[in-house]
Amino acid sequence: MAKATGSAKMRLLKSDTCKEATSLLLDYLAGTLPPKVKRAFERHLSICPDCVSFLKTYQKTIRLTQSFLSQNIAAAKLVHVERSLSRRLKKSKRSR
Amino acid sequence: MEQREAAEPALKRTRDREPAARDEEQLVERLKSGDHQALEAIFRLHSNKVFQLAYKLTRDRTESEEVVQDVFLTVYQKVRGFRGGSRFSTWLYRLTVNAALGRLRRKKRSKEVSYEDFLPQFQPDGHHLERPVVDWSNDVETRSSGRELQDLLTRALNQLRPQDKAVVVLSDLEGLRDQEIAKTLGLSVAAVKTRLHRARLFLRGQLAVHLGYSPT
Repeated sequence: MAKATGSAKMRLLKSDTCKEATSLLLDYLAGTLPPKVKRAFERHLSICPDCVSFLKTYQKTIRLTQSFLSQNIAAAKLVHVERSLSRRLKKSKRSR
Repeated sequence: MEQREAAEPALKRTRDREPAARDEEQLVERLKSGDHQALEAIFRLHSNKVFQLAYKLTRDRTESEEVVQDVFLTVYQKVRGFRGGSRFSTWLYRLTVNAALGRLRRKKRSKEVSYEDFLPQFQPDGHHLERPVVDWSNDVETRSSGRELQDLLTRALNQLRPQDKAVVVLSDLEGLRDQEIAKTLGLSVAAVKTRLHRARLFLRGQLAVHLGYSPT
């Protein structure tokens, strides 16, 4: 879609459809749309409540995913991992 | 890993200081010359960060511990080839992502699900296929319990292709730029953006369907 995003940027200026607008969401949120395309995108949002809803739920998905993934597991006790690694290192040295 | 007692004072000094780049370089040089205590010091400095990143990718404690072992074994075996063109921690980061990806690829995904079923669809004229598109962004957390959302996201993330999952973690969680992700995963920047967008659309579609709406 990113390859398509380049051409979608151009197409949006001509066709102004929800499909094209959806393909620009990633660049819009990353702030990487060229100013002219950004203005066209925002113009589309101003007349399309469906795309506003889509944008809001796309953003919410990112926030929920971030919040879920950022839950760190309690610092692991890696002593036994260190011991196992030590055994694997010895084995690896012997086989050299 | 042997001679822990003898290594302890040096390790304590290492732990007491910020793991600055200079210290890291010195440890790497010592490791290159075969100093095992340096590996132990590096392990203690970085193993928890490696474990946390591996866990974000695998969501599995045992797998993540295996990744930690794989990474430090690779460090030991390949450190002589590390030329210092990038920071050691950057190299370690790449080794961790790739070790975790290798394990994710070997482990069958929980259930093969077609992305297409959860991506938005459009009418021939380019409008959303089902209208109106419902804005559920403000009530998703009141309509689902935290546990339900956790289970849903766990399942949905496990259904992503391993490389797509890695792109989501590196971008949306670790905050890496597209160029850095591309370098870490050996992809083009365009491919990173494609994968990230599709993965987000897929996750969004899963949430929408969970709430009883069309992914569109």
